[in-house]
Amino acid sequence: MSSYWRAKTPVFLRCTLLQPVLFIVAVLTLLASLRAKADEPKPKPENTISIQLGEPIPPQRFEHPPKFWIADVTDRSGSPQPMLVMKERGGLFLDKQPTVILKEAIEQSLKAADLLASDQGSADLVLRLYLFHFGLASGSGLDFFGKVEFSTIVKNAKTRESQEVKAVGTSIASGAFRKKNMQKNVEEDIEAALRDATRNFLRGTQLKEAVTALLKGADGTPAAAPGGGTSPKPTSN
Amino acid sequence: MRVLMASVVTAIFAIGVAAKPKDEAPQYKTAEAKHFTTAEGVELSPAFVDYFYAELRAELTKAKLANEVIGEGEAVDDADAPKSLVVSGTISEYKKGNVVKSALIGFGAGFKSLKMDADVVRRSDQQNLCTLHVHVKVDPRWNEKIMAKGAAREMVKEMKKVLTEGMKPA
Repeated sequence: MSSYWRAKTPVFLRCTLLQPVLFIVAVLTLLASLRAKADEPKPKPENTISIQLGEPIPPQRFEHPPKFWIADVTDRSGSPQPMLVMKERGGLFLDKQPTVILKEAIEQSLKAADLLASDQGSADLVLRLYLFHFGLASGSGLDFFGKVEFSTIVKNAKTRESQEVKAVGTSIASGAFRKKNMQKNVEEDIEAALRDATRNFLRGTQLKEAVTALLKGADGTPAAAPGGGTSPKPTSN
Repeated sequence: MRVLMASVVTAIFAIGVAAKPKDEAPQYKTAEAKHFTTAEGVELSPAFVDYFYAELRAELTKAKLANEVIGEGEAVDDADAPKSLVVSGTISEYKKGNVVKSALIGFGAGFKSLKMDADVVRRSDQQNLCTLHVHVKVDPRWNEKIMAKGAAREMVKEMKKVLTEGMKPA
């Protein structure tokens, strides 16, 4: 068929027939790529949620209450868009970076319990946080599974010894059909997970043991198990 | 006649109110759920264990078995320890199921199957309060997380039943 077409159609006509076809293909490809780009959700006021801790979490009681200082929070989630909570249904974004939200939550709770130092120099223990997960994790599809997971290197400012403390917070909220309800449920879900993770960290036995060992080390006795101050690896998700 | 009708309606309402179960105070102060471990040969993702942990905590909160459901590894006041529970367990068996078998035979054939064993201990003295065995079967086309939801619900239901019976005087 094609050889017949080639034989019967002159060369100039063949070119004139092929050009519009190629043009249409190029236009369609361009349209498809533009459409795909338009589908990428963008943060707008109507699809942005604000995550707050609410009431500060009271930490556990320490024998000798130390002063903490949060030096920095590093995002180790590996997500290219850490503020994007959900891609479906027009997208859902956080108003702040997850690292900022987590830092504020822990600082707020430490400050309320008078355990936050005024600056790094006056702190007994310096905290370095590594955030592994913040937001929604894969759930059953019928509900929203909120998860906040981080690890902290607690370092004695004087002895330079450190220990690792892990914390995880989870929450399950019901699903929703309407977009407004969905946003509300996701916001509540992540807030609950953040509260849970903050509480898990501040009231955890790991923190208690770390504080006891590190402050004991400062008194002249060696600490139980120094961590060496290396950044931790993420736990399995 | 009107008086009679009114008295009948009042009586029905009174019976209804009396029959409604009262909201009892939770028996325990705190309940701690731990991440379940998986036995050798169980091919389930760590995400499943995470999700099951979250579901178990959600179900424990719903069941009002304890005043507070705490996270794994959280400290409890010494005074509250005798009235605190710790739930831990193992996923002992998981069968992926078979969609073809399920579609052709039906009646539960080819379903995904999950077996779990859980221990509920008292925090203060580690005394075993109950041991639970849960077996859940779901359609092979369903997400494994739905199976986790069902397993958590079943486990807490069983736990509440056993612990409530255990609290009753003989």
